[in-house]
Amino acid sequence: MSAAADILVVENATVVFDGFKALDIDRFSVDRNEVRVVIGPNGAGKTTLCDAISGKTRLNSGRIHFDGADISRFRDYEIARRGVGRKFQNPAVFGSLTVRENLELAGAPSKSALGGMLRGPAPEARKKAAEVVAEVGLDEVVDVQAQYLSHGQRQSLEIGTLLVSMPKLLLIDEPAAGLSDEETAAMARLIRRLAGQHTIIVIEHDMDFVRQLEAKITVLNEGKILAEGPMSEVQADPRVIEAYLGR
Amino acid sequence: MAKETGAGAAPARAVPRLQPVTPRSPLGADPEITKFRRRTILGLLVILFVVVPALSLIGQYTGTPLMEAHDLNRLGRYLCYAIAALGIDLIWGYAGVLSLCHALFFCLGGYAMAMFLSLPSGGGDVRPEYHNIPQFFFFNNVDSLPVWWRPLGSFPIALFVGLAVPALLAGLIGFFIFRNRVRGVYFSIITQALAWGAFLAFSRNEMLLGGTNGLTNFYKPLTTRPNWILGLYLLTSVALVGVFWLCRRVVRSRFGRVLVAIRDNEPRLFFLGYRADLYKALAFVAAALVAAIGGMLYVPQTGIIAPHDMRVEVSIWMVIWVAVGGRGTLWGAIMGALVAMFTYSSLTSDLPQAWPFIQGGLFLTALAYPGGAGELWSRLEDERQRGFGMGRAVVALGFVELFLIADKLGWFARILPTAVVAGVHVRYLIPFAVVVVLCAGKRAARAAVPLLALAWFIFSEAFGLMPGSFSYLKYLLVLLSIIVYAVGESGVLERLKNRAGRSALAGAVK
Repeated sequence: MSAAADILVVENATVVFDGFKALDIDRFSVDRNEVRVVIGPNGAGKTTLCDAISGKTRLNSGRIHFDGADISRFRDYEIARRGVGRKFQNPAVFGSLTVRENLELAGAPSKSALGGMLRGPAPEARKKAAEVVAEVGLDEVVDVQAQYLSHGQRQSLEIGTLLVSMPKLLLIDEPAAGLSDEETAAMARLIRRLAGQHTIIVIEHDMDFVRQLEAKITVLNEGKILAEGPMSEVQADPRVIEAYLGR
Repeated sequence: MAKETGAGAAPARAVPRLQPVTPRSPLGADPEITKFRRRTILGLLVILFVVVPALSLIGQYTGTPLMEAHDLNRLGRYLCYAIAALGIDLIWGYAGVLSLCHALFFCLGGYAMAMFLSLPSGGGDVRPEYHNIPQFFFFNNVDSLPVWWRPLGSFPIALFVGLAVPALLAGLIGFFIFRNRVRGVYFSIITQALAWGAFLAFSRNEMLLGGTNGLTNFYKPLTTRPNWILGLYLLTSVALVGVFWLCRRVVRSRFGRVLVAIRDNEPRLFFLGYRADLYKALAFVAAALVAAIGGMLYVPQTGIIAPHDMRVEVSIWMVIWVAVGGRGTLWGAIMGALVAMFTYSSLTSDLPQAWPFIQGGLFLTALAYPGGAGELWSRLEDERQRGFGMGRAVVALGFVELFLIADKLGWFARILPTAVVAGVHVRYLIPFAVVVVLCAGKRAARAAVPLLALAWFIFSEAFGLMPGSFSYLKYLLVLLSIIVYAVGESGVLERLKNRAGRSALAGAVK
């Protein structure tokens, strides 16, 4: 039943907060190197789904298979080490570290605590950081602490950290929030470009942005999957219209 | 500078003047500043290893009190505190985890050393009438050495225990607390409870560690004979330099960067695959080890260790030292410990009532200037690069020192006014006036003034140059120079000037 190409399969998953079922999914699967957009009204369980995949929230029941392993009982850092990256809504960078240090930290091949006690960043991490700096256009500010960067530069830096850490699956939470039209288009281009090498799940409200991604869409409502398919199909689905416009 | 308009990421060459927790001077690459730094370090090492011992030895062999043995002893003890402060800086300054049981680790190291020193093999003062074991046992109705005390008679074992026990305790606590993602103030409260519990336990006579009186009656010459004092001082200095060098390597390593990242945004580290909890636990162990080294060197120089030294208040003081010196800079931790301790010793002898206020003031200042004294230093480098001299500050402080020495020798008594206003001899206003006149000027390097004043205060205190009531006078001068600096830096004067100009303009328009 499950195709070998599926990198992520969420099965019979439930998350319950104080008796309220925030997530109740029978089956949600994503192909390798696919871009998937998850939409839904507020409280539909989009962020809970991301939290469950990245290990921030534990499932009450069900399984999550990622890249051949059941990760539903793993802790967040174990999941991250297996190749699940996550980008939050606000650009999250380490303000006291420089651009270069942020990139080297994210791209470090070893993340063990004892090993790095007296040693500098690994040569691979340095190399990757040096490559990515130019790619995201931050070479002018490479030795500036991230707290001094502008909002746009921080976004670029965070994307850079995702590039160096090369996750197999990338969870992106509302990437278009707070961006101008021009920046939104750039973000959509970036996601389409990353799509070749990474599997990406995007959570989004902004329908224009979703349209630009040209991806398969999953609609969540009240924790359940309401519909799945390409944009045109989903938009025509009467249940989706009802969920969005209210009864 | 031309204003940049247009699309694309504008190069942010000009770094805005904010106050980050770890100010990183962009001047690090400047060869002149590198030279300046190197010279400063060399100068400090010379003072630590050459000037101080030389003064002490010359004083000892010629009989002139250039540097009294007890001043050297005091400096040695404060250097132990500086070592401990490095530990606090590691865990709190860099990783942002506020630990309030640092004094406990300091004391655990100290107790291990004290146990060795109070046994006969460590030269302890034992008497046949007390069964040749530490005297307090006699008063606790114990007449033979308990089994678990015996291994401590060997120096290597005592050394090992003094490091292993605090490290193990910190490791266990850190591992389990951080693993459960306990953070922030909750961790501080747990460590506080731990320190308090340990204080109560060590105060019990049943612990057989001397109860509230602690351990004492060590080998007497440790704290009385100049050669021993000098030897212990040198050992402490070597340890301080060594620990500083190690801490520096740690904070500049991959590990150190992760610590800073923990302070900035811990949850994100987990999503990058880092076990931030293990990093924090390891940093906690490292901090405990550093504290224990300080404690082990402290005990032979004070001749006593008691549960009193592991109270929560002591740990809070240690945090204040680091806050004053500058969180997240290793130099700042050392500087803060020395400034705070010499202030404490100079004020508690002359103005004991003032100490709580000064302590509170120090803490408030640290809150207002999160960079602490460490930030002053980077400002100084900044000013140096722009070509400002600091001659005036040196001249002013030299003048003050000469003034005080001359006054001490009674040279001025006949010439200068002896009037007393509100309990202050009027002639003491002269050095204040000189400092203000020479240092408030625009041309003098503004950051150099308070920094040099602080250094001058520490060294003149350490050398015991001015005994008695002069030390608080000096401290007031330091405070004054900091206030002058802060006023200059805040731009209040310029704003006042602008307002005056504007009202004059308004008057002219009318």
